[in-house]
Amino acid sequence: MKKNKKTVLPIEKAELTPEEIERIEREREIIDQSAPYHKGEKLLSARNVKVNFNLRGAELTAIRGASLDVYEGETLAIVGESGSGKSVFTKTFLGMLDKNGRITDGELWFHGEDMAQYTSEEQWLKVRGKKIAMVFQDPMTSLNPVRTIGEQIAEVIMWHFGKSHDEAKKETIELLHKVGIQDPEKRYKQYPGEFSGGMRQRVVIATAIACRPEILICDEPTTALDVTVQAQVLDLIKSLQKELKMSVVFITHDLGVVANVADWVAVMYAGKIVEYGTVHDIFKSPEHPYTKALLQSLPQLGTKGNDLYSIHGTPPSLFKTIKGDAFAPRNADAMKIDFEEEPPVFPVSETHWARTWLLSPQAKDYREALIKRDAERKENQIPEEPFDYTNAEKLITVRDLSVKFKIAGSTFRAVDGVSFDIYKGETLSLVGESGSGKTTIGRAIMRIYTNNVDGEVKFNGSKITGKLSRADKKKLHMQMQMIFQDPMASLNERAKVDYIISEGLYNYHLFENEEDRIAKVESILSEVGLTAEFISRFPHEFSGGQRQRIGIARSLIMNPDFLVADEPISALDVSIRAQVINLLNKMKRERSLTYLFIAHDLSAVRFISDRIAVIHKGHLVELAPAEELFAHPLHPYTKALLSAVPQPNPDTERDKVLVKYDPDMHDYSTDKPAWTEITPGHFIYANAKEMEGYMNEISR
Amino acid sequence: MNHSEKKLNSLHNSLMRDPALFEPAEFSAMESEKTGASNYSYWRSTLRTFFKSKAVIALCVLVSVILLMSFLYPVFSPIDPTKVSINPLDWNHRPSFKHPFGTDALGRDIFARAWYGCRNSFILAFCIALSDVGIGMIMGALWGYNKKLDPIMIEVYNIMTNVPSTVYLVLLAYIMNTSFITLFISMASRGWIVEARFFRNRILSIRDAEYNIASQCLGTPMRRIATRNIIPHIISLIIMEAALCIPYSIGSEVFLGFVGVGMPVDAITLGNMVNHGRASFTLHPYQMLLPAAVLCIITVAFYYLGNKFADASDPRNHV
Repeated sequence: MKKNKKTVLPIEKAELTPEEIERIEREREIIDQSAPYHKGEKLLSARNVKVNFNLRGAELTAIRGASLDVYEGETLAIVGESGSGKSVFTKTFLGMLDKNGRITDGELWFHGEDMAQYTSEEQWLKVRGKKIAMVFQDPMTSLNPVRTIGEQIAEVIMWHFGKSHDEAKKETIELLHKVGIQDPEKRYKQYPGEFSGGMRQRVVIATAIACRPEILICDEPTTALDVTVQAQVLDLIKSLQKELKMSVVFITHDLGVVANVADWVAVMYAGKIVEYGTVHDIFKSPEHPYTKALLQSLPQLGTKGNDLYSIHGTPPSLFKTIKGDAFAPRNADAMKIDFEEEPPVFPVSETHWARTWLLSPQAKDYREALIKRDAERKENQIPEEPFDYTNAEKLITVRDLSVKFKIAGSTFRAVDGVSFDIYKGETLSLVGESGSGKTTIGRAIMRIYTNNVDGEVKFNGSKITGKLSRADKKKLHMQMQMIFQDPMASLNERAKVDYIISEGLYNYHLFENEEDRIAKVESILSEVGLTAEFISRFPHEFSGGQRQRIGIARSLIMNPDFLVADEPISALDVSIRAQVINLLNKMKRERSLTYLFIAHDLSAVRFISDRIAVIHKGHLVELAPAEELFAHPLHPYTKALLSAVPQPNPDTERDKVLVKYDPDMHDYSTDKPAWTEITPGHFIYANAKEMEGYMNEISR
Repeated sequence: MNHSEKKLNSLHNSLMRDPALFEPAEFSAMESEKTGASNYSYWRSTLRTFFKSKAVIALCVLVSVILLMSFLYPVFSPIDPTKVSINPLDWNHRPSFKHPFGTDALGRDIFARAWYGCRNSFILAFCIALSDVGIGMIMGALWGYNKKLDPIMIEVYNIMTNVPSTVYLVLLAYIMNTSFITLFISMASRGWIVEARFFRNRILSIRDAEYNIASQCLGTPMRRIATRNIIPHIISLIIMEAALCIPYSIGSEVFLGFVGVGMPVDAITLGNMVNHGRASFTLHPYQMLLPAAVLCIITVAFYYLGNKFADASDPRNHV
């Protein structure tokens, strides 16, 4: 864990006016109202916490007065997008702020002590790890790669409880067993490198609970994991909480995860808690416009063929000064007062409060009108007709595609004999976990990989694998383009937006003169919703969603017919995803594009795709029209994926039963599997015996 | 009216505002895009981090003074560093106001010789830095991008780096006549491979970055990928490597001069001066110590600045 060597400056509390004192008092009262509705006693109480950072010479306020309570035996979820301050806020509970940050105001009560006044590392060591423990997003940052995991956990036990090595080892093995690691005696002696991502996260959880903390803070513990593994880790955290009677603070941006684990939810925006309530309060009757927008923009809740509700703009950066409601500039329904005065806390019920002027009795009419309008809009959405395949032309045919990689002398087939077609005008989604070969397929079609590719890919009837002439390559570059996953890595940091977007134009000299080029760049920028003044800026001046749109503009300027979208939304904030999905759908309609959409989970895919292909370990296991796949999944892996998708509905999500998939269930030793069409349009990878079972399942 | 309703009412009353403010406000989609901008700039942050330390500023000033002196002193000074005096009274003077570093066994002014020596050593060092980093970068780029070249280059690297550098330098300088060119060839012929490997590792790590794949998808020719995608990302490394190359080259020159296979005996370089001073070290230690001190200051300053610049150019340190 990072050492915090900051020198704590004496907190200078600004002189408060009587009105401000009154406002803070009132807020406390409203926050305390929920106390009788909690399961246990109040454990930790943060009041009006402010955190400042010193970044590149500027003093920035990351947390602008956040108040929150953690009660015994409950799970509290803190929801917010990156930069909202949710991680920073919880790090103050353990005194783990980065060395350029400090608490400048507020109180942090825990066991009768105000931790905001702690000045020395010794004081924090009594709390950190012992009473409050933390699990981070990336397990590798908290594990030492050159020591066995058993020793790492045993060390914690010896250090905190002063036990002998043998006792600690015994306890460690018990702990490993408890977090669901099989064969713990053997695993004790292994190194973190020998564990998969999910297993590593289990080890980190074991380390965190080794001291039986009262509060376990989980900072996006499943974001880096595959959906099926994520569901298992969430189950583990839930069962550990019951067993050890801990309080869990769960930080996440995924509302599906919130519905799954949380009892109480706090929504954070720009360094403040803007809404707080039980999980049912938040999901059934959200009040703050930001919470409402977040829920409405989920693709799981969209109607196919209609635009998703989307939040405009970008999350605020800390460099912007905030006046009034921080969300107001992005809120199309904001009131004038939102730009003038910061909204106070209004109670909704005794368990539910929100920080928005909409709850003022003066805004009653406007609020009701908004609710009515949203309900109407939802009703008026008519689902689109499913894609008509009867006269569809094949744009791309992939036959027996295999891609090999040489790793440490041995060859590894990332993609193994994959065949499918993509029809003109459709969106085909390719869904699979990390390492399943989905990105490799996309890149093989894009000819990023050429030497190690076997099989055949045809585009518009002509073969595009193997050696091509310069003219053919040029034609392909004009027809096929790609959108990338990571908006941070996919733009050249040292080039201006102007060059990034014109790169394709320069390559094939697709413009008459300089003015023509600028005009083209500006028109594509406005198509993706950005202003012309952005062209002289560098990528780092943009947020993730804007960068992703620049990436889309870069590929669209070539006027392609076909786009490979490689997980274009998985690295984006929730509030931004809907924007990008809408943009992709709009472009598809306006430019009659065809998409190969690559994704790692099924939640967004249903909304955008016509057909879905599921890939596992380099093999396509099932391919069917989207609705058909959701209605009648056949392959056990598809079923496992479907059950793991977190649904933003606390009623169904909390008690759902996970379907587990074990590849060993297939016996392919004598009876070889094949890629067969089981019903028209529904393909499955199975052997003769399994086919029989699937046929029975369909006829039932 | 019960207690809690009363409270709610009093709350609402205290929060009464001008009703006109509860009208819908105008919304501008473009305005909402502007909330996210940050003021970060790579080069500005690098320079800011670099110059944050007082030692860096002091050393930068010192290095500039030394550079200026080395190149301006020979132009403006009336003192001839090669002028030998036949008057024994001019020999082996202690440092004084007239001769700040004293005079040597032939009555030559050591202070003047030190600056001439610095100039020559700097010229040699700049030439070597240019060739090492230049050739190293080109070879490193080829090495990083061409998978077939990899096994060959690794063998070349292993062979070249496993021959002890002193043996190699001494041997080459021995075979050829001692001259500036000899020294340059013997040092430059071997320095590039280390740089090439360094750049190869860096280029490998950015070669498969998504933005380079994007360029590939757009059909960007190799030449433009190199000039627009690769070099701008490693320019700070190039500066750093060049800065670190200079003290190393000066040090090597001094070493070769010291063992007697450096520049010709009559050439004024720091290496030769240290070598001359060695002969009379027991009687007149300043004749060796003072040039050596100048040398130390130069090498330490360049190493320190190079390393500090490397730290400052790492975006993780931009806080």
